[in-house]
This record gives sequence, structure tokens and C-alpha cells, in this order.
Amino acid sequence: MDGHKYGYNLPISDKTKSVPWEEKKRIVEEVKADFRFKEYLFGCLNCGVCTASCPSNRFFDYSPREIVQRFLEEDVEVLYDMMHEYIWACSQCFTCWIRCPFVNNPGGLVAIMREVAVRNAFEATKDLLKPYGRVLLKVMTTGNQLSADMLQPDFFPDWGPKMQDNMENLRAKRMAIPFDVGKSVKTAWEVSLETAMEMYTIWRETGIFDMLEKIDPNLFNVIMDIVEENEERYEELYEEED
Amino acid sequence: MGKLLRYKKDAFPIMNEHSHYDEIFERMEELEAKGEILIHRITEENQPVEVLTRTGRIKLIPTNKLWHHKSCGQCGNIPGYPASVFWLMNKFGLDYLNEPHQTSCTAWNYHGSGTSNPVALAAVWLRNMHQAWQNGYYPLIHCGTSFGSYKETRELLIMNKDLRDAVRKILAKLGRLTDDGRIVVPQEIVHYSEWVHAMRYKIKELYEKEGKPKGIDVSNIKVAIHNACHTYKMIADDYPYDPEVFNGQRPAASTAVMQALGAKVVDYSTWYDCCGFGFRHILTEREFTRSFAIQRKLKVIAEEIGADVIITHDTGCTTTFEKNQWIGKAHNMYHPVAVMSDVMFSALACGAHPFKVVQLYWNCSNYESLLEKMGIKNWRELKKEWEDAVKYIGELEKEGRYDELMEFFKEYDLYEPYSRTGNGKPRASATSNRPLFSS
Repeated sequence: MDGHKYGYNLPISDKTKSVPWEEKKRIVEEVKADFRFKEYLFGCLNCGVCTASCPSNRFFDYSPREIVQRFLEEDVEVLYDMMHEYIWACSQCFTCWIRCPFVNNPGGLVAIMREVAVRNAFEATKDLLKPYGRVLLKVMTTGNQLSADMLQPDFFPDWGPKMQDNMENLRAKRMAIPFDVGKSVKTAWEVSLETAMEMYTIWRETGIFDMLEKIDPNLFNVIMDIVEENEERYEELYEEED
Repeated sequence: MGKLLRYKKDAFPIMNEHSHYDEIFERMEELEAKGEILIHRITEENQPVEVLTRTGRIKLIPTNKLWHHKSCGQCGNIPGYPASVFWLMNKFGLDYLNEPHQTSCTAWNYHGSGTSNPVALAAVWLRNMHQAWQNGYYPLIHCGTSFGSYKETRELLIMNKDLRDAVRKILAKLGRLTDDGRIVVPQEIVHYSEWVHAMRYKIKELYEKEGKPKGIDVSNIKVAIHNACHTYKMIADDYPYDPEVFNGQRPAASTAVMQALGAKVVDYSTWYDCCGFGFRHILTEREFTRSFAIQRKLKVIAEEIGADVIITHDTGCTTTFEKNQWIGKAHNMYHPVAVMSDVMFSALACGAHPFKVVQLYWNCSNYESLLEKMGIKNWRELKKEWEDAVKYIGELEKEGRYDELMEFFKEYDLYEPYSRTGNGKPRASATSNRPLFSS
């Protein structure tokens, strides 16, 4: 069946159709097995308040009500299909959550679906996250998601001519920031090496590095080079102290 | 401490005493009694101020002895945002710790890319909270997304033993449990905008004492408030509301401080809409972000109320509104307006240097007409002062004249000590012995 009689307007992709039912079922069950799932999905009046106030709904073919309804209908085919591109339209603002009379959390359901899509290395997810690589590199290696050197005007021509001025003589401008720890260029604030070590341990222990390797092996290799270099430097400093 | 504080029933129009979220605080006490967690309590030393939430629960906001959980978006992109917080705290003579032993919350990344999970988010949060507790300072969260994510993660942690067990193992490896093996959880998760809210009458006093004598007057400034989704829509029951602010039907923080300063806060029809930031969208779906920001917020605010400034209380919203104005010219939808956070506006009103402290130089939007209207008529000279300072700092650093540079910093609105690297260069941090990158 193309699409769904209750309102999911997009045709089911050929890719989804070609995947065995058992695999689609496994993926949807993985979402439902998340411990947050029962906290995020209750009943649904089908009132549409979530969709009416959803910012993404105004510009994308995306509806939080559909997310909730498809789970309640256990519509495996549509849910699996949504997990490739549809869910990435969500802005994660959680307007749906505060508005829902039943306290459903469609934005939370989307967060779980995205996590499962990443963990299972869906091709569409790989493509969607490619332009996001700079942020992943920064957060995985430094613990900061953004730093001054990421805001080159070439990447943001739509932010206007003042961006060019802002980035000139960046090092001196950062030096002129009048609070401690805030003068760094490559990180938002100066992150200590010890802190980065703790964060790498968290990424390892929680499977985040494994997740990254599956989704973008090249980026993973670059990240691990930096991580290992920092770990070696830390070891050397540790030995020096001993 | 330990008992839920509630205010009188008739004090508030939006009442819901059956809030699921309030149970969290009772469960926290139970878990502490069982020896699973240690609640990092707000004490008299933190000089707490009571604020109201929409469920009838009174939230304690610590105002002193605070550990700054900084925001990467603010420090990296809007440095005048945290600088204004520090400047006000210095003015009030408050004790705080701003150190490099902190990671981001990593929740921006999670909401943007899905490349994390609840155990990792909880471990990052609790590691940072342990660092604050270990140093004897109470955590103050600068970023709205960190605040929202931490509130939600706390609920998940307290209600879920499996999550506690999983994260405890990781914290043990990091040495981030108490000596008797407990997880450190703060009594309240506190956003800086709640601190501004709690301090609003002191900020008003400072404005009258130091801002007004400089000729600053904000009574004619028309303000549009944009509340950040992750402060009041994520775990909605844990953010200040107040009967005196829009009859309790809008979040109170930011609005209340503008009212205390005497600015004209004007309501507009899309007050509840998000900014369009979208986490992933501002970087990789920019058409969405700019379309939403312009059509649902900037245009509406311009046409309905003609605000002089949009006041925000979060990183992403400030960036979104601030950076997505100029591009509107392409479609004849240019609605120029100043954009800044509540604390930046407060610092300006109290007489802070617009460029050395509030760092407006980094802004892409038009702040100049706002400064004029506030009575900061000499903003051109002040801007030149800052530009000259940057030029001089650049020259000194290039020539390795570090002694002079340190001397210059002493004259240059310096209110925190700076240390030096081995070759005498001023460091990005006074407290880190081992920076991840060299300064």
C-alpha cells in the first residue's frame, strides 16, 4: 500500500518496500523497547494541537500527530519509512509536548527514532548527517559543540557583511574577551585535558564511538586520531608527574 | 529542606497540584535516604531566593557561591552573554567559580544528530554536577538546552533504576561518585535566567544607582520577549511563573526583569513560537531556520509592536534572530531589530561598557539605534575604544610583549586574574594546568 489511509501523505519508498518485514519490525521494536517510550506515549485524541503549533509542520511535510498515531496503530511499514528522512524535519522544540492534553511527547519519540536510525546506520541518516560532521568532530574531541573558529564567513554568507568584520583579527578579539577561560579560539572556553579524558571515557563506555564508526567511518578515524593523541599526551604528563 | 514548599492556593491562576514532576523531589529524598544519591543542597551560603512555578511549588534559586556551567554557543559566538553575567555578579560582590574543568552538556548535538543516548547524557550531566559539588559551589546552568536536557535527564534518572545503575558504573570509573558510592544530584537545576529573575530588584537598584546617572533610561524601550523552548517547554513544571507577569500565563523570567527596569514589555501573537533554530536546522537546513525566524517572529514583532529589541534567554534563539535578519533583504522582508539576552540588556542598563563587557561588536544585527534610544549616545567612541584595544592587544601579542599585555589587561576592565604560560604569554585560563589546546 502506498501511504496510509489515515493521513500519512508520503508514498512509502521503494527502499522501505524492499526491506523484509521482520527487519522493519525489529527496528520499530527497538524504538519501543527504549525505556523512555512508555513515558512519551499515552492516548491520543487526534485533536491535532501538536501539529497546529509545530514549527516544522509549517515548512516541511511533517506532523507530530502522525508520529503518535502511527505508534498507536503499530503501523510498522510507515514508522520504518518515517525513520529515514521524515523524522529529521522535527525542530526538537517540544512545543508538541507542552501542548498535548494527554502529555504525549512526539518530539521525544522522534529523539528515540533518530537514535535508533543512527545506531542502525541507515543510509539516509548517513547522508543527512554529513554536513553536520564539523559539529560532531568538535563535540567528540573537545566537549564543546561550537567554537569561534567554526564561524567562518564563507560558511555563513547569509548572515550578512558584519560576519566578515567579526572574524577578522579573531585571535586578538578573543584575547579581549573580559573573563577567564573565555579567550580560546578552538574551543568555546578552555577545556582542561583532564576533562576531555573523562569525556572520552564516557563516549567509550556508552557506545558513542561505536555508533560514530558505523555512521561515518572516515570522521570516526579523524576523531580517534585526535582522541588517541590527547590520551598519549595525558599519559606522558601523568608519567612526568609520577 | 527536604519538604516541598508550596504557596497558597489562591495565589496563582494556573494551578496543578497533581504535577507528576513534583514527585521527583519526593523520590529524590527517598533515594537519598536509601543511600543511592546525595542531594547537593542549596544552603544559606547560596543566599537562596524563592520563586514561583506554575504547579504551586516554590523553587529555591541560589544567588551566591555559584559554579558556572557555561554555554558553548554563548562563549563561542556571543561572548558578551556570559561576560554580562560575570560583570553583574562582580558588581554584586558575589562569589563564583568559572573554571575549565567542564564539558558542554552535549544536548545540542543529541537533539541535532541523535548521536548520543540517555546514559551518555546522564553521565556528562552528573560528571559536571559532581565537579561543582566537589568544589563547594552550586551549579548555575547558562544554556537553555543544557537546562532543559538536565531537567529531563534528572526525571529519567530518578524514576529509572536501570539508568541509575548504568550511569553509576561510568561515574565510578571517572571517580565521580561520593566516597560512599553515591551519585551527586543537585537539589534544583537552575538556569541563569532564573538567577536574573531572582535578582531583578537588585538589578533595578544597580540601574538606578549606576546606569541612570550615566544618562541611561530604558523607560521608552519597547521590548518583545522570546522565551526559549527548552527552558519552559521541556519539563514545563520547573520554570518560574508569577501572577504579576501576564497574569501567570507566560513564563516570568526575562519579562519580570524588563518590567522591574521599567522597560515597556509588549505582547505579540506568536509569543509561543520557537525561533527556528532546530539544532540541526540552523546548520544544515538553513532555509527553514531563516524562513521561520523571519516569517513567524521578526516580521510579526515588527508589524504588531515595532519593538526596539527582542529579549531572549538562550543561546540558540539569540543567534537565530540575530543572524537571520540581513538575508531578509533578498525577499523584501528585512525587519531590523536589536537582539540580546535579558542579562546583556540588564548589564547595559546598569552602565556596562557595550563593547568591552557586553561585546556587542560580535552582533550582526543593528544594536546602534537601541543604544541611542537607551541614552548611550557615545557608543561610537566606546566602540572605537574597544577597536583600539583589540588592535593594541594584537600588536603586543604578535611582538611577544607579554609583560605589557598583562599590564594592559589590568587597565582594561579586568576583573578576573589571568595567569601565564611557560613563555610568559597570558593564558586562556588561569586555572587549567593542562589545556586541551595551547592558548
